[in-house]
Amino acid sequence: MLLAGGKGSRLHSLTKNLAKPAVPFGGKYRIIDFTLSNCTNSGIDTVGVLTQYQPLVLNSYIGIGSAWDLDRRNGGVTVLPPYSESSEVKWYNGTASAIYQNLNFIMQYDPEYVLVLSGDHIYKMDYERMLEYHFKKQADVSISVIEVPWEEANRFGIMNTDAEMRITDFVEKPEAPKNNLASMGIYIFNWPVLKEYLEKDNGDSTSSHDFGKDVIPMLLKENRKLVAYPFKGYWKDVGTVQSLWEANMDLLDEKCELNLFDYDWRIYSVNPNHPPQYISPIAKVEESLINEGCIIEGDIERSVLFQGVTVGKGSIIRETVVMPNAQIGQNVFIENAIIPTNMVVPDGTVVRKSDEIILLTDEMLEEIMQIKRIV
Amino acid sequence: MNKRVLGVIDATTYHEGLKELMIHRSLAAIPFAGRYRLIDFVLSNMVNANIESVAIFPKFQYRSLMDHLGSGKDWDLNRKRDGLFFFPSSIIEGIRRGIGSFSHFAANMDYFQRSKQEYALITNCFTVSNMDFKPVLDKHIQTGCDITEIYHLGKSMQMYLVKTAFLIDLIQTREKTGYTCMSDVVTDIYHTYRICRYDYHGYAAMIDSIESYFAASMELLTPEVWNKLFQKDHPIFTKVKDEPPTRYLRGASVHHSIIANGCQIEGVVENSIISRAVKIGRGAVVKNSIIMQKSQIGDHCVLDSVIIDKDVRIETGTVMTGSRTSPYVIRKGTGQGALMNI
Repeated sequence: MLLAGGKGSRLHSLTKNLAKPAVPFGGKYRIIDFTLSNCTNSGIDTVGVLTQYQPLVLNSYIGIGSAWDLDRRNGGVTVLPPYSESSEVKWYNGTASAIYQNLNFIMQYDPEYVLVLSGDHIYKMDYERMLEYHFKKQADVSISVIEVPWEEANRFGIMNTDAEMRITDFVEKPEAPKNNLASMGIYIFNWPVLKEYLEKDNGDSTSSHDFGKDVIPMLLKENRKLVAYPFKGYWKDVGTVQSLWEANMDLLDEKCELNLFDYDWRIYSVNPNHPPQYISPIAKVEESLINEGCIIEGDIERSVLFQGVTVGKGSIIRETVVMPNAQIGQNVFIENAIIPTNMVVPDGTVVRKSDEIILLTDEMLEEIMQIKRIV
Repeated sequence: MNKRVLGVIDATTYHEGLKELMIHRSLAAIPFAGRYRLIDFVLSNMVNANIESVAIFPKFQYRSLMDHLGSGKDWDLNRKRDGLFFFPSSIIEGIRRGIGSFSHFAANMDYFQRSKQEYALITNCFTVSNMDFKPVLDKHIQTGCDITEIYHLGKSMQMYLVKTAFLIDLIQTREKTGYTCMSDVVTDIYHTYRICRYDYHGYAAMIDSIESYFAASMELLTPEVWNKLFQKDHPIFTKVKDEPPTRYLRGASVHHSIIANGCQIEGVVENSIISRAVKIGRGAVVKNSIIMQKSQIGDHCVLDSVIIDKDVRIETGTVMTGSRTSPYVIRKGTGQGALMNI
């Protein structure tokens, strides 16, 4: 069950018209491609995707799931938007309520285990291994955790564990963390346990219906067996403009653990049909990731360019993420920025490095042009 | 043009001059422009002209062609009604002169008889162009000719538009008339048919030798040719692959080149066409060359005017030089080491 209703409001204009899982990433992908590819690569062939906020782009992107080989006769991918019952429309009020309202969907398949995922994260993970661990530990619930730097532990939901990795305590954003194992928002539940506790949680009018805040603490209070599954590798929550930019730049690092070129664990995505990229005689490209359909006539340094981007003569693009079909004119200089999908950047635009990563907007371009006119 | 034309692609042609690229594949399946196969052009042109039923007649070595086309999904030809049909030759035929073997068609007569399309467009599989077939049909209907033959720069493109019923008649009477293929009909000076000519003025390259293959590939580097072949509202479709974007590493220097996805480049690339998932090692120099899918060029290699077929591994430090008129060709799946320098 893949939670894909996230609004991602800290991504500002990038999530104005689409949900966070649909935000472009890595020169070709959308964030949700990583979780969906993990599912198909882990041998999971039945996936429910729970959508709510701005679902249009996400719905048409997922389609019948063929890009991830999830167009199956039995199971496959099912998009689960909120729906109305005889008396009222029930919006998903929290992560737990979203799953609760789709218990019927899960019951159709009568599974032994249910994997609850978030569509907001960039990582590669074999869920089958986690399931083996869950089985071996004879747990009711397994929660995937990752070691985070101690100084950042206060930003995460932290799991306190005993020597056997059994979770003794869960603290959301602790002021004085006792541990540095952060929850990755990946849960494996024994299906009867999930059903029982979601029903209980639904009956509790004081609950905010959130897995981390309500369901997990209730399971701990009732002494169910919760174990932490330690994950090692690349994992990133790209919740802000800064972290989205950083995650893209990570891909340019030769030592980056997130290898997109691993043919044994491919990241699948909907492949748009573009001709190969054209690098002109006067162009210069250094340490970058460039997708099909790009026409490059300027200088590209340490940048990530999505499909269909054009960069005009004399332009310099440095440490910047350029999203699909953006058109960059001539003699443009852009540094440390994110240029959103379809944006047209006029000739001569200059965006210099500042303290934070700049997410270019039409208003900003308008302002720059006005200043130029006055000058 | 909706639902009115059958597409018939003759994929049986064997060009002796291309034999080094045809050892494992048919002419139709020869890689081109970094991510396409030759057949993609004519097939996409048909799809863009709303042709919804396409029959492909291959002969030998059609495994790679079938693998490429699959169910026709990438061309939107996986339809419940009509769609993509594949008719491998069931009889061993002798050498033929032209496009559209009537005996090969006769062996699959049901296809023509069951189809409801009024017209049939018979084409070769080795023309690189982005041609609009709609005006060809308009002219054919307007003139009322029996056969409309498409010409480019005064030469026949070996593409013919006919009424399906007329084609069936040609196939059925082939023993009496002695015609074995479409070109027999149009070149017979005693025929009694009305044959018209349609002149195509856009870009087209017919690939029939290593020289023409190499020349057409290098022409892609001219933006005018590129823009004529790859148009947003008239796309060339191909089998999609889940390759990541191409990665330029430290030390990469790329100029005047076409690069497909999934490549990892650490060397110098100039005036070249690089296909999907190619690796170019540190300090390597690739100039005026075509490198096909998944080939690996070792560190410090120097390649000039070569065509490297798929899955070739060039060992570190290898130097290879061909010429523009006679590029050096490395066959699919082979390895080339420093000791094999030429």
